[in-house]
Amino acid sequence: MALPAYTIRPALRCLRRAPALGSGSISSSHSFKTSTSKQDEATVETTTSNTPPPPPPDLDPNTVSTRREERLLLRTKGVHPIGSRRRRAALQSSDNVPFEQMPYQCFQEARKVLQEDRESKLEQITEMRRRIARWQNIPAEECGGEVAKKGKLVRMQKYLEELKILADINDPVIKKRFEDGMGDMNRPIYRHLADQKWRAYKRLLLMQRISQMHIVPDILAHLDPTAEVSLGFGRRNVQPGEFVDSRVSEMPARLNIQVFDQSERFVSIAVMDPDVPDEERDTFCSRCHFLAVNIPVSPTSTSVPLSKLNKDDHIVYPWLPPYAQKGAPYHRLTVFVLQQDQTSFSADGRVDVEALRKGMGRRRERFSLRRFTQGKNMHPIGIHLFRSNWDDGTDGVVQRAGIEGFNVEFTRKKPEKLPYKKKDGARYR
Amino acid sequence: MKLSPALQSLETALQIPIHASIRPACCLVIPSFRRPQSHTQTSTFSTTLNTLAKNTGRPKQDPRITLIRYHLHHPLTPRPLRLSRQRALRHWTIHRAAQLLLHRNRYLRERELERQYNAMRGAMEELRLGVGDGGRLYRQAVSRKGIYGGLKVGEMDGVVTNGGIPVEYARAQTDGPPRVGWDHSWTRG
Repeated sequence: MALPAYTIRPALRCLRRAPALGSGSISSSHSFKTSTSKQDEATVETTTSNTPPPPPPDLDPNTVSTRREERLLLRTKGVHPIGSRRRRAALQSSDNVPFEQMPYQCFQEARKVLQEDRESKLEQITEMRRRIARWQNIPAEECGGEVAKKGKLVRMQKYLEELKILADINDPVIKKRFEDGMGDMNRPIYRHLADQKWRAYKRLLLMQRISQMHIVPDILAHLDPTAEVSLGFGRRNVQPGEFVDSRVSEMPARLNIQVFDQSERFVSIAVMDPDVPDEERDTFCSRCHFLAVNIPVSPTSTSVPLSKLNKDDHIVYPWLPPYAQKGAPYHRLTVFVLQQDQTSFSADGRVDVEALRKGMGRRRERFSLRRFTQGKNMHPIGIHLFRSNWDDGTDGVVQRAGIEGFNVEFTRKKPEKLPYKKKDGARYR
Repeated sequence: MKLSPALQSLETALQIPIHASIRPACCLVIPSFRRPQSHTQTSTFSTTLNTLAKNTGRPKQDPRITLIRYHLHHPLTPRPLRLSRQRALRHWTIHRAAQLLLHRNRYLRERELERQYNAMRGAMEELRLGVGDGGRLYRQAVSRKGIYGGLKVGEMDGVVTNGGIPVEYARAQTDGPPRVGWDHSWTRG
């Protein structure tokens, strides 16, 4: 019985390729003629003694296929080979045809259809742009008032954005580039794809954690995140709602804020803890652990390390390490990203940091996000949360941060004695 | 008698005597001192398989799962279909193009239907208002009087009736068209 073709093909390919590359290692290792191999060694020695060592061969991480070459590549260039060895071996013998020119009839026909569709979409886009420009010049009285004109323009603009996405959504190269993480976030199609990907899983998870940990009624009445926020401490990435060791969260977090709509905007970042125990009133209050404003964010500039922010321009409250007293329930640390909208007195939405510092004073306790956003024309676009608990490192963290009044241990109140007297056990003997 | 190797491996995998009925002396799988117990059980309400009810030392597993695993890992089972990156992308491209064509065809058909409907509607409107007879022609054209039963032709002037046969039942309802397209020899009565 013949073996299935797929089991032998790569091996055969390697064997076929071997003499072409000039590596006779397979045949020599299996030969029993010791005398010839000795002769070979002798010749090799003589050549090496006479001439300088040959330069290392030009190794491509895409096509190295032997262990020796892989090791050499790693040693000389410090590059890891790409993909499987089998794939790399297959790539060597293939003629590298670009993806769009692959000679498959059905594929080429499909590409023709898609290209035709794209051209018609581009025509529609130019037409739409022309119409928008025309409607902008028409006075409002002729098209039924200012509100009607504005509504019409907004609808037209929305349709234009839709068309821009539709023109590119069927392109296999764009799909490939996006899957490789090489997408240019300035283009609407890549932003659309990234948004879809975020909404497919990460946003669902985030919303679940928000509702499970009651962030929504506790801190804000309503939340509809539209930007992806990821959080990490040093090299450790934090999933939404994860418990973070107090020693890890001692340093300021680094944020990654990915917005999916085009434009540069300023955001504020507030990190707050709504679970600070308040013994006098027998309740919980909140504390602000970090507050910074006027941070520029756009689809392409996403990284916001909180430790690298300019102290004078942005920071209202510097980072205070999250901590929890022993015996108290866990603390929810919530990171809010608030977009600063345009107002009548600041065209780009900037907030006066100095005034904010004076107004807030040094009081981090009893920070309320509702109160903070009240008169400022800000709205939350992104959120992230993690939890912190009392652990072995909390003592050191708190002492290094110079926080007073931390060494409290909370215990449960003893339940009151029942009103009746317990009868002595002697009666039951 | 000899069993095929597949059947033999099945037998060992499932621990059931496939040929027990053929060779009653076989004690390969079920020891002979236990067999009478399994044979004497006559209760009709127990659906537990013998293999499961039997007290072997091993953990018990559903024979269906064993069978599925056996067939999945059989060397003659073809490997699962896995597309390479490029091939998957080509597949995706072709799929999108096909969907696009389907969508376009549907769109064009709908537009054509809409056009036809509007043309007919315009013609009827013209008939109703533009002819100048006060809409008499229009009323005659759209009248459905008598189609669900009524007088025969000629008894009432101007209105064509078919003598009480609903139009739906003028021909026997069939799944397909008739083999002879039009019966030219047919005459009424």
